[in-house]
Amino acid sequence: MSEQDIAVHGARAGDFVRLGDTHLVVRVEADDRQRGNELQIGFGKNARDGIGMQSIRPSKSCDVVITNVLVIDAVLGIRVTSIGINEGRISAIGRSGNPDTMDDIDVVVGSGTVIIPGEGLIATAGGIDSHVHAMAPRVCDAALSSGVTTLIAQEFGPFWGVGVGSKWALGHGHKQFAAWPLNVGILGRGAGSTTDPLYEALEGGVCGFKIHEDTGAHPRTLDTTLSFADEHDVAVALHTDGLNEMMHVEDTIAAIAGRAVHAYHVEGCGGGHAPDVLRLAGHNNILASSTNPTLAFGINAADEHVAMIISAHGMNPELPSDIELARRRVRNATMAAENKLHDIGVIPVTSSDALGMGRADDTWRKTFAMASMFADRAILDGTVAPDDVVIENERVLRHIAKITINPALVHGLSHEVGSLQVGLLADIVLWPYRSFASKPNMVIKSGIPAWGVVGDPGSTVANAQPLTISAQFGAFGASAAELGVHFTNAMSTTTVEGRRSVPVKNTRTVRGTDMVRHGVLGTIDVDVHDYTVRFNGDIVTCNPLSESPLTRKYVL
Amino acid sequence: MELTPSELDRLLIFSAAQLAESRRARGTKLNHPEATALIANAVIEAARDGATHAQAIHAGVNAVSPDELLDGIDSMLSGISVEAVFNDGRRLVVIDFPSNSDSSTPGSVTRLVQQSELQSDDLVTLDVHNNSTVDISVTTHMHFFEVNPRLIFDREASYGRHLFIPAGEHVDFPAGQTTSVTLVPITGNRIIIGFAGLVDGPLDAPGAREEAMRRARELGYLSGDKS
Repeated sequence: MSEQDIAVHGARAGDFVRLGDTHLVVRVEADDRQRGNELQIGFGKNARDGIGMQSIRPSKSCDVVITNVLVIDAVLGIRVTSIGINEGRISAIGRSGNPDTMDDIDVVVGSGTVIIPGEGLIATAGGIDSHVHAMAPRVCDAALSSGVTTLIAQEFGPFWGVGVGSKWALGHGHKQFAAWPLNVGILGRGAGSTTDPLYEALEGGVCGFKIHEDTGAHPRTLDTTLSFADEHDVAVALHTDGLNEMMHVEDTIAAIAGRAVHAYHVEGCGGGHAPDVLRLAGHNNILASSTNPTLAFGINAADEHVAMIISAHGMNPELPSDIELARRRVRNATMAAENKLHDIGVIPVTSSDALGMGRADDTWRKTFAMASMFADRAILDGTVAPDDVVIENERVLRHIAKITINPALVHGLSHEVGSLQVGLLADIVLWPYRSFASKPNMVIKSGIPAWGVVGDPGSTVANAQPLTISAQFGAFGASAAELGVHFTNAMSTTTVEGRRSVPVKNTRTVRGTDMVRHGVLGTIDVDVHDYTVRFNGDIVTCNPLSESPLTRKYVL
Repeated sequence: MELTPSELDRLLIFSAAQLAESRRARGTKLNHPEATALIANAVIEAARDGATHAQAIHAGVNAVSPDELLDGIDSMLSGISVEAVFNDGRRLVVIDFPSNSDSSTPGSVTRLVQQSELQSDDLVTLDVHNNSTVDISVTTHMHFFEVNPRLIFDREASYGRHLFIPAGEHVDFPAGQTTSVTLVPITGNRIIIGFAGLVDGPLDAPGAREEAMRRARELGYLSGDKS
């Protein structure tokens, strides 16, 4: 009986759900449905005119409803509910149906409403990848296929940009990204000894600046870019002086001078002060993130990275001094510490470093593989009372914050994206329970299915093999541009035909303590000889993973 | 070859199946895409060799054995759909496996606390006779008062009620037979719009019930003479 009920209606309040093949077991906190009045669409079901659907205009009910879905959201928690969408935004969350015939309806379903059945699926906010080298257009396909709907890009390659300065080039870049149903912001190059190079990028519609040692991360560029950002409310992403050519990490902290900055790949494998750039984390004004190759710290992590650094940064493996520079960036101890600092809430953001030194389609997977490393095993064989079973709701919600609401806050996007709260864009990813964070079933962009699982196009049914994760209707025609947002700044004079331009905001006042389910501050020390990391005096580390969940069983 | 998009997709299955086959030959335990490709490919090849639909299902079900799979994969393989070219044309085949999941299965739901059953303290039980020559089915939330006039029962007692069964299910009324059903009051604002037009408004408005009965009588819902 239970098995049949779960197969038909999915999990209910109090049920335990294992996320993919991880050790993460969550317990459903609430179920907004009323027993007996669950809304279902199909032959012989109750989502019919006058029964489960009210005979009113969709504009008075909702355009789209996702029914009976298990929401996992850093702000809303873990609950079974329905999500109503009007004109691309989330308009209501709660019990769905027809108030004429059902009690306490929050999401009114009209006879013209599109119904997306969510039983057996998990709904999350679309992922936000705040560190993308768009070195090739297909990086957008990879991102969408992994459940990412917002990119903060640093170039439109194949050239290595680490920020774009030219207004003329930016005009083309924004137009190119409008081909995908994605929200995209481009970072300007924050390599300015004077503000002159920064102005054109601002007019060109950047949403922030990137300071990178490859183009100059010196005291003057830091101060100029941060001052300029303060004046115009845009974010600043920072890859520090890994050579220690002009400054040590403490000098960088001093040059930042309390201003908000997003510290990319804070562990240092991706670059930055060697060997102790990790000391940037834990400061209230320095919002730290990790890139995905060091996450779910694994037994092969260090071996992978030397070649990756040489390849990504225009170095030459024939040059011994280049190999030496690359080796200095790869340290097992700081990688192990980085993973632990995520688990205890010190590092609030994960990202990819796509086509730079990370994987565009791996951030969801690696973020939750990392969460699984630290999870306790739930005992579900009935020998432990239900209320005593160790569950991972808080850990799961902390980790989902790293890829949704926290990067939105850091980059000033949270008035549009980052969670499933009413009023935000309906950027929603639907995941089967069994492949959560590994392979999405559907990526809904501003309320329209834009990417997801598609089958043999000549088949009688939509789900015949070979199933691939690729473009849905929302990725075609003028919709692709309209469904996405161009994240920009208030001074921009650049517009993109068919795409809404939205200035980022509150980027200069955001602090570590604003980070959802994070905000743990403290002092990090890195022993410069053996790289042992201490947080507030205590050693932080973890054991490397020999077998990563969410990957081996799922990826061809 | 003049290949269509569907034929090109068929090559994706073949490529994945060949890859999986070479891994299996080395003794490598198979993952989800590998096992799926082998199953889909086995169905297609069986059909190509003249198998019947049932024989192709048999080929698919037996394409991989549980001991060739990574842990938990066998429970992830249900409902594999694939189209194959049989001797009588293209046909859809769906391969299902018996569920053998437990709490360690990827994506498993474990219910340790029994959920409450449907409850109501206001139930009505009626005998309903299907006075016609074809079967009739009624779904959960249909206003029972307005079901097919060929069902003969105490219609007034069903006013403002629907079937007391789990959402999404239905009750069959076989032709010529009498079936007992239990009904529960419609909830919410109790407004019935549409259906057969017998109410078309608030159920509990003054005179609504009497007017609905009058319309039902006028339209032949009470006489049972439609057959």
